[in-house]
Amino acid sequence: MNPLLSVQNLTKTFAAPQGPLGGKEQRFRAVDNISFDLAAGETLGLVGESGCGKSTTGRLILRLLDADSGAVFFHGEDLVPMGKKALRPRRRQMQMIFQDPFSSLNPRCKIGDIVAEPLLIHGLATPATARGLVTELLATVGLNSDILDRYPHEFSGGQRQRIGIARALAVKPELIIADEPVSALDLSIQAQVINLLDDIQQQFGLTYLFISHDLSVVEHLCTRVAVMYLGRIVEIAPALELYRAPFHPYTEALLQAVPRPIPGRQHKRILLQGEIPSPLAPPSGCHFHPRCLYARPMCRELSPALSEHDPGRFAACHFAGEFSRNRA
Amino acid sequence: MTSPLLTVSSLKTYFFTPRGLIKAIGGIDFSIAAGRTLALVGESGCGKSMTALSILRLVPEPGRIVDGKIVFSGEDLLRLPTTEMRRIRGNQIGMIFQEPMTSLNPVFTVKRQIGEVLELHRGLHGPEQEEEAAALLHQVGIPDPRNRLASYPHQLSGGMRQRVMIAMALAGHPQLLIADEPTTALDVTIQAQILELLSELRRSRGMAMLLISHDLGVVAETADAVAIMYAGLIMEAADVEILFNDPRHPYTRGLLACIPRLGEARQRLVPIPGQVTDSRENSDGCPFAPRCNEVMEQCRHHLPPLREVAPQHQVRCWKAL
Ligand SMILES: Nc1ncnc2c1ncn2[C@@H]1O[C@H](COP(=O)(O)OP(=O)(O)OP(=O)(O)O)[C@@H](O)[C@H]1O
Ligand SMILES: Nc1ncnc2c1ncn2[C@@H]1O[C@H](COP(=O)(O)OP(=O)(O)OP(=O)(O)O)[C@@H](O)[C@H]1O
Ligand code: SF4
Ligand SMILES: [Mg+2]
Ligand SMILES: [Mg+2]
Repeated sequence: MNPLLSVQNLTKTFAAPQGPLGGKEQRFRAVDNISFDLAAGETLGLVGESGCGKSTTGRLILRLLDADSGAVFFHGEDLVPMGKKALRPRRRQMQMIFQDPFSSLNPRCKIGDIVAEPLLIHGLATPATARGLVTELLATVGLNSDILDRYPHEFSGGQRQRIGIARALAVKPELIIADEPVSALDLSIQAQVINLLDDIQQQFGLTYLFISHDLSVVEHLCTRVAVMYLGRIVEIAPALELYRAPFHPYTEALLQAVPRPIPGRQHKRILLQGEIPSPLAPPSGCHFHPRCLYARPMCRELSPALSEHDPGRFAACHFAGEFSRNRA
Repeated sequence: MTSPLLTVSSLKTYFFTPRGLIKAIGGIDFSIAAGRTLALVGESGCGKSMTALSILRLVPEPGRIVDGKIVFSGEDLLRLPTTEMRRIRGNQIGMIFQEPMTSLNPVFTVKRQIGEVLELHRGLHGPEQEEEAAALLHQVGIPDPRNRLASYPHQLSGGMRQRVMIAMALAGHPQLLIADEPTTALDVTIQAQILELLSELRRSRGMAMLLISHDLGVVAETADAVAIMYAGLIMEAADVEILFNDPRHPYTRGLLACIPRLGEARQRLVPIPGQVTDSRENSDGCPFAPRCNEVMEQCRHHLPPLREVAPQHQVRCWKAL
């Protein structure tokens, strides 16, 4: 079966922020030759630390940013070379949910108009029929139609996130790219929105690319997980297997760093040394080698390719999985 | 038993806004013994930061501490003259905040900022000051500390800035460190390093800590005792083991039930219904009543007191009595 989405060798460079003295423009790779597939109906989690290129990847797929090279196949068609006009109907099938529900809603528009806007733009409703559809959409995300004439600032973070989700659902998309959709929410509200995302996936057969730095939330929601480090995907695997026995040393370190809500559990933790290197001067060979516990001399020289070590389990490490197997 | 290092009693901090009175802190009591860590936990707006700022007497306008006592090392901080209070801040009580960029001055070097604290609180100057500043940076795990002293805050990563903040907070040898979401803005691998650093420093210096966090994982791994806040009140307080293993308040139970947990079989989350409302001005009842799944009629009309249900375990709930 063909995947719904296939990302191939996608690369994006940005100009580095200039120092006070200016000088020659320096570019760095925010997204560095990444590839992955997304099957219809699945949820792929995209995790990694700040600045590793998660949001950029999402924006490249939606063509909110133009790639330097690579391809994004959606239903078998490459979106990267498409013009605005050809993109438009495809854009309807892919929607984004953002982290900050406040800045993503126009403060001067009423809730009813915010949710109706995509319906009107894509010709899915007329101003006369929109209101009924909007009421239905709001009900889907657990909001009452008496909010139609109110403004975003009157709502809490969780409610605004529901409004953003209703808006994304309006055009009946197939793919939703959710960029940290619950990170800004309080714990009790986070759980409400996570359940909502689960429900609407079942109800509408949605496919998700779920961007998050919260590994517990990703484990809860995702069927597969891709881990990024300095612009590259270092591991991609079914969620259950990746969480049980990571193949990449970075994935292992990330999982161990997550604090657990279990007091007294002195869990053995490998503390990663050092900081994430600057993307402007990424380390040679394997980008992770200066912080890696298992690095050997060859890691400094040779960049490991993302290759399949067990069925469905990809990792970019010269010794992928060896360390966890040895320990077990 | 020795008396606690810090005892807060009946603390009330209100905001007098044009739109009305906001009881940011509606009367809270807790204490921290020397060398121990108390975590304040709760959702956005429940009054965690205002508690910290009240202890430091840094509550911003139009807020005011309207009642209560804050006894630190035997002295009521609320009765001290401002000059005396300034000496205690940064000296006996250190503080670190969530976003180091807002607390570090962008136009001064690290050396100058740490130097100021060392001068003010320990009277160090010149080479002696520089020596100590470098030693502090070394202690908080900053590599190449001598050269780092010349850096400006924007030249440091988030984790480095947080380490500089900690170094500044430690400069005066505090007995109590107030840490308001010290790792929330950091990546998990860096968070793990900073938490490790904080526990190491607490061990080696016997320092007490008031840790503010909404991350139950961080709390479980760092704190000795926990106070759960909701709408400006403490709802439950206990030693960390008791709080996580035998929670008595419906809100605490709800919080523990609604978080996805790493490595546990996937099951539907049980959210707490509704949302935090700003109903504290007009309700006499339990502020959690509108969201509580065990609510009784009396809860809506009468605020339950915070009562001891077992040794070292206090709960504010009519059901738990
Ligand atoms: N428009 C832009 N111009 C220049 N640099 C950019 C731009 N957008 C992103 N970057 C840089 O690209 C890198 C990747 O950024 P991106 O936002 O994709 O990271 P992220 O993984 O989403 O991080 P976070 O978890 O902090 O959201 C970062 O170094 C960032 O500073
Ligand atoms: N400048 C202000 N004016 C009016 N009310 C304020 C002001 N600052 C804070 N408050 C009130 O005090 C309450 C407690 O705020 P506080 O900053 O202590 O919350 P918090 O628990 O630290 O939340 P967060 O987790 O978001 O940091 C808020 O709900 C708000 O109503
Ligand atoms: S390739 Fe080497 S440095 Fe990179 S993760 Fe694997 S062992 Fe570590
Ligand atoms: Mg991002
Ligand atoms: Mg706060």
